[in-house]
Amino acid sequence: MSEKKNIVLKGLVKLFKKKRKDEVRAVDGVSFEIKEGEIFGLLGPNGAGKTTLIKCISTLLIPDEGTATVGGHDINKDPLGVRRMIGVLTGGERSLYWKLTPVENLKYFAALYGVPRKKTAERIDYLLELMDLKGKARERVERLSSGMKQKLSIARTLIHDPPILLIDEPTLGLDPYFARFVRGFIKDELHGKLGKTVLLTTHYMDEADELCERVAFMYNGKIKALDTPVLLKQSMPQEQVLEVKCLGDLDKEMFEQLPESVSLHLGKLDGLTYVRMNTDNPESLLSRVIDTVRDRVKVLSVIVTSPTLEDVFVHLTGASLKDDYSQRQQNDRRDR
Amino acid sequence: MRKDVRILLAYPIEIAFWIISPLLWVVPLIFQGKALIGGLHSTAFSNLAGTGEYIPYVLIGGIFSTYMFTAIWSMGNALRNEMFYGTLEHILSSPVRPFYILVGKALYNSILSTFFVAVQISICVIFFGLTITITMIIPIVFFLLLLMIGLYGVGFIAAALTLLIKESQGILHLFEYILFLFTPIRYPVEVHPITRAVSVFIPLTYALVALRGILLGIEFDFVKNSLVLLGLDAVIVPLGIWIFMLIEKRTKTRGTLAHY
Repeated sequence: MSEKKNIVLKGLVKLFKKKRKDEVRAVDGVSFEIKEGEIFGLLGPNGAGKTTLIKCISTLLIPDEGTATVGGHDINKDPLGVRRMIGVLTGGERSLYWKLTPVENLKYFAALYGVPRKKTAERIDYLLELMDLKGKARERVERLSSGMKQKLSIARTLIHDPPILLIDEPTLGLDPYFARFVRGFIKDELHGKLGKTVLLTTHYMDEADELCERVAFMYNGKIKALDTPVLLKQSMPQEQVLEVKCLGDLDKEMFEQLPESVSLHLGKLDGLTYVRMNTDNPESLLSRVIDTVRDRVKVLSVIVTSPTLEDVFVHLTGASLKDDYSQRQQNDRRDR
Repeated sequence: MRKDVRILLAYPIEIAFWIISPLLWVVPLIFQGKALIGGLHSTAFSNLAGTGEYIPYVLIGGIFSTYMFTAIWSMGNALRNEMFYGTLEHILSSPVRPFYILVGKALYNSILSTFFVAVQISICVIFFGLTITITMIIPIVFFLLLLMIGLYGVGFIAAALTLLIKESQGILHLFEYILFLFTPIRYPVEVHPITRAVSVFIPLTYALVALRGILLGIEFDFVKNSLVLLGLDAVIVPLGIWIFMLIEKRTKTRGTLAHY
């Protein structure tokens, strides 16, 4: 990988004024660098400040403090230079003209980016082929499925062949088939073949684990940790995770008698409760946990695994990611 | 521009609406005139307007005011529509300034409006006895051009206000009502001292005086109307652009760019 830095952030701050004199520091002194050709993940729950940061980098928001350069262009001094270097992809369907066909959409965005007419035709042909959308090239976007729309959004993002991609929650709302396609496309095509620099935001921890060479945890506008997924997981004080799946409700107070060194996370999915505990000695913990919960719930399974990025996040922030956890687990289950 | 045409063609009822609305708009005024004064000729009207021909008078007001309202609506709604499509942020993250997007919309709208006006004038010639000669076309185009330039300035202000308060209908209707009240669309502004005083700051006033003068043979000062329109354009356009850029920066600072 090149040592050239394609995105450099220095002390970026974005404030939003609320009622009267209250203000929220949506991005609070964020600094990091992304190398050319790297996939960099920005992880955090909803409201962590990820999208605000992406908007600052893509010049849609003016930061209150700090600087950033994208492809060597300063976001404050040369926003047009920045925009020429980037492609922005967001999750969700509504980023295209539904009354136009895929070809018309791509032609319009190519014109906005000043792609020469001859090259536009070549790019459209290449991208529709790549996205397996050639058969739908002349149909109105409104008639395409959600997954096809997202594929077309990817094609739109790539129409001017930008070296840097800002991808915000790319699999949000997609069914497992298309979510898998998008993840595979980012990893194999954008990173592997095309060598793009990718800044990816997600609140799906295993998506980041699968795709990113380095990840930064973002929480309350701040970067809490930044490293490779492997090193982040190795940074956990405990080496293993004991996961107990139960039928019924549990609450954290029931586990107060556990040793302080044990980090506990409760998650819910489809009426089932998942208890995850980071520990060095799952065997010794197991009987105590079973004794604690057996009168309240029915224990369905017990497994011992390695820590995930989610466990690291919970350990670092103490924040519950219950909803995100449940959603991700649901997607994973469907994937299988 | 091609994109906007394709989207418009997806809504054919919209095209029919813009063509027939000024004509439908005139009919109630004709009935009102008949009910009030028992006919379409009034000495009082003739003294103020310089013509006793009420139907052509209001038809011209209707057609050319629609020309103007289409421009203001189109520019005022341009960014609003992109917000609804979900494409605004993708357009604004491209290396094109929003200002040029609006200019593109305005040019598209000019062509579309000119087409509508041509159809409407043809209908007036056939059904309402309006006479038009080939020598009228160049001065008509000249004054329309001066009118459109000023309207682009107003359009920038409308677009800026839409970005600011996230609602375009109310603002655009307000613009419409102000123009209906203070310009000679339905009646001569001489009807009241206040309408006369305010109308001197609005380009449409001079454009309508000139266009009616050309089409109905009413005496008017060609040079004075041209120069005043040019002067107003020179003020309104830079003012509109300045206000738009100011509010665009404000929305980017406050993070309200794509808010509904």
